[in-house]
Amino acid sequence: MDLEVLIENVLNALAAGITIGCIYGLMCIGLGLIFGIMRIVNFAQGEFLMLGMFSSLYLVTGGGILAFLGPYIGPFVGALLAGPIVFAGGALVHKLLIARVSGLRTTGSLDEGHFGQLVVTLGISLILQNGGLILFGSTPQTVRTPLASSAIEVGPIYGDATVFLNKARLIACAIAIIVAVALYLLLEYTRMGKALRAAADNPTAATYMGIDTDKTYRFAFALGSGITAVAGGLMAVYLSFGPFVGLDYVIIMYSGVVLGGMGSILGAFWGGLTVGFVQQCSALVLPPQLQNAAIFVVFLMIVLLRPQGLFGRSAERA
Amino acid sequence: MLEVTNLSVSYGGLRALTDVTLSVKEGQFVTVVGPNGAGKSTLFKTISGIVPAASGEITFMGQNLFGLPPARRAHLGIAHVPEGRQVFKTLTVRENLEMGAYPKAGQDAWHHTLDRIHTLFPILAERALQLAGTLSGGEQQMVAIGRGLACAPRLLMLDEPSMGLAPAVADTIFERVSQIHKEDGVTILLVEQRVAEALELSDHGYVLETGRMVLDGPYETLLRDDRVRKSYLGLS
Repeated sequence: MDLEVLIENVLNALAAGITIGCIYGLMCIGLGLIFGIMRIVNFAQGEFLMLGMFSSLYLVTGGGILAFLGPYIGPFVGALLAGPIVFAGGALVHKLLIARVSGLRTTGSLDEGHFGQLVVTLGISLILQNGGLILFGSTPQTVRTPLASSAIEVGPIYGDATVFLNKARLIACAIAIIVAVALYLLLEYTRMGKALRAAADNPTAATYMGIDTDKTYRFAFALGSGITAVAGGLMAVYLSFGPFVGLDYVIIMYSGVVLGGMGSILGAFWGGLTVGFVQQCSALVLPPQLQNAAIFVVFLMIVLLRPQGLFGRSAERA
Repeated sequence: MLEVTNLSVSYGGLRALTDVTLSVKEGQFVTVVGPNGAGKSTLFKTISGIVPAASGEITFMGQNLFGLPPARRAHLGIAHVPEGRQVFKTLTVRENLEMGAYPKAGQDAWHHTLDRIHTLFPILAERALQLAGTLSGGEQQMVAIGRGLACAPRLLMLDEPSMGLAPAVADTIFERVSQIHKEDGVTILLVEQRVAEALELSDHGYVLETGRMVLDGPYETLLRDDRVRKSYLGLS
């Protein structure tokens, strides 16, 4: 009997870890693009996640334009549409603020623009948090779907031990994987993706090649914001959130990106997956308050053993 | 083709170029020589639009370059192979060449130019999938030149391609540059510290010292000049 309960708990934690991990993976890819590849420090990434959640919420509920899709499809379409909305916002933020402290303008400067980026994005983060508080209020919200309270039962596997796969999370996880793969293919194989990586690698040389680095950086920043917002929209179906939800996730995103290895989109995804997995599995043995501590213990261990991250590759000639 | 007229540039508060005039005609091989810090790289960076000019004019095929964003120059057919190679270290060799072919002319000619690059530098075909940052200095220089060729340029600007290379490798590079000029008919503007080799290849040479053009003329004239013979060629 005890063994059955234990097996059930472990299997369910594993399942939750993988599904939530994939969504974290997508969330980390957004920051992986901005911080890992373009090397822009962005502390407002958590707020882009929050904006993704609220964008989806207002699209879907309360007579939003997606209300006609109903509670089954609506929330997921809303999550996907949160991407372009926050993409536009990200592009605007980059044009007005970030472009002044990044890219060609700061190449070769002492700090590569990182100090400026730190201050600017921290400021954006505070404005968005408190602006969100004024606009959205402090009541916890969630994008309701009946799928969040129904599950696919797998099993019984051992005795009565059954794995419950939450349908909302399962669909969110599938969408996250599809978006992540699409982004990976875009960056790895398209002319635009390669130009983006070239501009991040050496903005001056990229300019000599005829690549408009300012536009490329703007596209990358906006895309990174939009991707994280899609992840936010997906999380909104199983999570209650408020204007300050970004604070909980920005550190998780940074640890995912560093864990996976800077400069690797695939790495950012696996880093995020690892973080989500560790977080959910630690719930088996640790109280919820210590879940984030568990993440950082694992983080420190991995970084101790592999300082370049799981997928980091060193391109410098030794 | 390229006309630089009375160009003055200030760089970091210092006057780097004063009243520089230079002309490159279609099909020519033009070399700028001069000691370290004479402003050779600054001249290239100004042509490429990375460094702003204080006064003067630069035109390419009759078009004023100063009104254009820096990235437009590659689309006009100016390829800049920068000092210190500046390859994209985290991209593969092939991806580096593809980025060279970013302008439309380069894309249209891609299959042809890739074959040509591989004929000139066979090692780049072997290393196609390797990250450019893992290559040796000479191989990186080949990537940089190949990347310049990939945009199907009208004018290829080379900034000290022999810098930091073993003499034998530098000789190969010079030989390939000469081939690119003769066989592909690409107009070349070269900046070089290996004066003898560079001038030997060129139709016309300029001598730049502390930001001023002190001398210019065809190869034969420069070779007869006492100052060039003493200071740059070590002859008496």
